[in-house]
Amino acid sequence: MSNDVMVLGGGIAGIQTSLDLAEMGIQVHLVETLPCIGGKMAQLDKTFPTNDCAI
Amino acid sequence: MTYSHLEEVSGEVGAFQLKVRKKARYVNEDLCTGCGACVEKCPTTVEDAFNIGLGERKAIYKYFPQGIPSTHCIDAENCRQLGQGKKCGICAKVCQAGAVDYEQQDQLVDLEVGAIVLATGYDVFDPSVIPEYGYGRIDNVVTAIEFERLLSASGPTHGHLDRPSELALRVEIAALDKDLKKFNRQIDKLEEKHGKKTAEFVKEFKAGQAGEDGDFERWASLAEKAAVAEEKLAPLNKKEAAAHTAKKLAFIQCVGSRDFRFNRFCSSYCCMHSVKEAMIAHEHDNETTSSIFCMDLRAVGRGFEEYKLRGGNSANIQYIRGRVAEITEDEAHNPIVWYESTTTRKVEHETFDMVVLATACVPSAGTPKLAELMGLDLDENGFFKTDSLIPLDTSRPGIFVCGCAQGPMDIPESVAQASSAAARAAEVVFTAPKAAAGGGK
Repeated sequence: MSNDVMVLGGGIAGIQTSLDLAEMGIQVHLVETLPCIGGKMAQLDKTFPTNDCAI
Repeated sequence: MTYSHLEEVSGEVGAFQLKVRKKARYVNEDLCTGCGACVEKCPTTVEDAFNIGLGERKAIYKYFPQGIPSTHCIDAENCRQLGQGKKCGICAKVCQAGAVDYEQQDQLVDLEVGAIVLATGYDVFDPSVIPEYGYGRIDNVVTAIEFERLLSASGPTHGHLDRPSELALRVEIAALDKDLKKFNRQIDKLEEKHGKKTAEFVKEFKAGQAGEDGDFERWASLAEKAAVAEEKLAPLNKKEAAAHTAKKLAFIQCVGSRDFRFNRFCSSYCCMHSVKEAMIAHEHDNETTSSIFCMDLRAVGRGFEEYKLRGGNSANIQYIRGRVAEITEDEAHNPIVWYESTTTRKVEHETFDMVVLATACVPSAGTPKLAELMGLDLDENGFFKTDSLIPLDTSRPGIFVCGCAQGPMDIPESVAQASSAAARAAEVVFTAPKAAAGGGK
């Protein structure tokens, strides 16, 4: 039995899941194939509908 | 764990045994300070995947400037020392922290977890399979994500809307310039050695009066090469001087989605993505005008309709209802869009500076392999299969899916699903021991 969770993929969805789980006190293993987390959203300049910066 | 991938999964809900391969970065994560001295000195340049090939990076690199972790990483395949077996070692020499380690090996990490959340995202549809849009053939037809990088202040053009055809032109000019400088340096040396100007020498050489010297053949050929390069450069420089940033943009919706030949589904975020890109382009330069060609513009979401109208009212965006049939190109590399306007019921055409294809969201390339590894079902579109009443549960208990791995969605929806998946995973983890005590599996 283990109380850890693995999150596969370090894009916006993976990061959000990991943060939420960590806040609940759960040990998270976030696995990402690229050298940095951020995923597709990091490639975006601004986001709709507020034109906020994506990073 | 970044730069890692999952290799094996076994066990069941509450106790999954995993094997994760942590790939060698060849840079010690504990020592690297991310200063970037190694990047400055690295002699190898390769295409930058983060900028979708529009920019360049070195063989030792950080994936993107603000990337986390800030540890650099060596791309072994392109590295002179690691991949090509040459003597280099420059990065190790300049690294003050002593973090570069060419001997680093992949590590296999064993984990045991109670639940798994898949957030493997999506891939951008490759529009080069649609021949009529000319992607890959016409320089100034780009995908939405490429356009995003061009617009970005941290992108390859620092946020100026330089057209790809002009970027290619600049690369060509730079290469010719480099050659010309090399020829001129050698010519200068020869001029100094023989105390003669090249023009004078060439005249004598052609007339056969130059006499005999080991250098003369080379000198003549260099002079000729330099002349050819100069001749080639002149028209290119003229073209470059006349170049301007893209001011008239066309956005084409549903490229690869809602198309029976490729994907039947709607990729959901592309309509708003195009409106946003058109608005940002207008913010950069208020002379920019945009036409968005769509079957219907789907602004479904909080504040989206208002955003769309704001684009039309204050960002010079024109929404044209009609599907684009073909894109052709004129001599100045301007794309010409041929379409049937369903409002006027006529086939029309218009010339633009640049065309942006709103490409579909397709399952990421690794999805089928991952599904096989984990024993999960995929839906008819190739995303992870879920039930519409329990939208985050995959076909295997204890494994949840969120974001674009489940189907196309925008950022707010991905974030909402992510939080929801976290709650589902927490439920499993917190209740698992109880379930076991109650005699359940």
